[in-house]
Amino acid sequence: MINWDDLWLFALPAWICWLTAALLSLRGGWRRSVYLLTITGLLIFGAYIALMWLSLQRPPLRTMGETRLWYSFFLPLVGLITYSRWHYRWILSFSTLLSGVFICINLLKPEIHSKLMMPALQSPWFAPHVIIYMFAYALMGAAVLMAIWQLLGKQDQLPAIDNLTRVGLSFITVGMLFGALWAKEAWGTYWSWDPKETWAAATWLCYLVYLHLRRARPADVSPALLWLIFCFLCLQICWWGINYLPSAQGTSIHTYGS
Amino acid sequence: MTEGVLVSCGWVAVGVFLQWLVGPVCWELMSWPVNAIVLAVLLLCILLIYMLRGRFRLFRWMATLQAAVPAIMACALLTILMGVTRQVPSGHIPADPFGITDMLSFWPFVLSFFWLMVLVGLVCLTRLCRPTWRSVPFLLNHLGIFLALVAGTLGHADMKQLRMIVQEGKTEFRAIDARHSMYELPIAIELHDFFIQEDPELSYMSDVTVRTRSGISVRDTIRVNKPLSVRGWKIYQYSYDEAMGGQSEYSVFELVRDPWLPFVYAGIFMMLAGAVQTLSNSPLKGKKRGN
Repeated sequence: MINWDDLWLFALPAWICWLTAALLSLRGGWRRSVYLLTITGLLIFGAYIALMWLSLQRPPLRTMGETRLWYSFFLPLVGLITYSRWHYRWILSFSTLLSGVFICINLLKPEIHSKLMMPALQSPWFAPHVIIYMFAYALMGAAVLMAIWQLLGKQDQLPAIDNLTRVGLSFITVGMLFGALWAKEAWGTYWSWDPKETWAAATWLCYLVYLHLRRARPADVSPALLWLIFCFLCLQICWWGINYLPSAQGTSIHTYGS
Repeated sequence: MTEGVLVSCGWVAVGVFLQWLVGPVCWELMSWPVNAIVLAVLLLCILLIYMLRGRFRLFRWMATLQAAVPAIMACALLTILMGVTRQVPSGHIPADPFGITDMLSFWPFVLSFFWLMVLVGLVCLTRLCRPTWRSVPFLLNHLGIFLALVAGTLGHADMKQLRMIVQEGKTEFRAIDARHSMYELPIAIELHDFFIQEDPELSYMSDVTVRTRSGISVRDTIRVNKPLSVRGWKIYQYSYDEAMGGQSEYSVFELVRDPWLPFVYAGIFMMLAGAVQTLSNSPLKGKKRGN
């Protein structure tokens, strides 16, 4: 039986693989090693998630600690996909760093939750709903970092930022609609304006503004990128900020862990 | 863009005035046939705006991105305002003097979404009148949200969620809603037996015959997570006499009817198809495409 105490046994070698790959890609060249090392790290970390899944006898997707595991996993994956497509040398350093932050939070502040999930969450909709959202968070994280990079006057990233946002928004749309279909099955209503749902709708609308704004005013880059940062802040509130938001306390079925 | 911001601010101002004049939006009034009339008027307005677009600059402008961006932004900001204020449960009086704690009945919120749906409907009609294959993803996304949001909003008051208590050996056709009003339904349930099964897993179920006025009768077993559908009604096993367990003399059913649901689902599946299309078409996958 595996538990949170064993996390570092998997996370450390995985992270060292990712770090080596990131440093190699920063130097340029060495593409084959970069791929190989990143994938090895993903396999090691993925193995921990799979073993946790088996040991908990449910998908590890219920608590903040468990969702952080997926974030640590998907960041290097999205980083690798982005690297393979646009050849940004720095992207793997970013994804490795952020992934490391989430691993450290889990190591230093292990929220050990052995509680059973509530019956409504024991549904085949649950895993796709959360994993799709996690993937979207990782894509939007990459997009906002590129936006900040560009606002600081570095190289032009605009086509990549737009693409990541468009793909990320598609994932958010699918995640949100899966949530609606699931809610209909579990509670009889597809949308009940629970605080998490309200913030999901707000975030979705904000990203829609970005995509339409980019087409309406292609030359006004800075306002659009600043708006993208605002979108990402909304996404953070939707993801975890909701747990600390006074207006959502005691009314959301989505708050984790308690 | 400035015009768009002014128009959106105008809708908010009109909304604030209406809120002060008549109070929060009364959604109960939206039940059949009022919602059908509102829908017809909305579609007719969109059609008229489309047909008169050559005459009025305003109508041409409404189908542009310059109009769309401020309209979406107004909806986004009002939804954020809803997210940072504690909302009262639906059907309650707002807890603040302005009405923002019951955002779904707050006129500026409703009018902003209404305006956005007019714009979305208009661009959909524009594309539909000159159909090309290239418009398919656009229509999936835009017509999808239009259908889901309009049908979901207008159909909400028609959704019925009722409880029915049936004694063993008796037939019942009356049910009550959350406010304890009594309804006489066009379907009747006869309960033959209620029992609890423990193998392979714990489940409680009712052996029933459901009859409709038109003479159809269906005999089936209703259990938790296995509702029965008859004539647009979904019948869920809801409760029983817990003190008596398997010997319970009655069974409680929940009856749900949502006649607008097929349209909402059509919209949801169109949006899903649109999102999948975006993913498969995005340059994240595959090689660079020549422009």
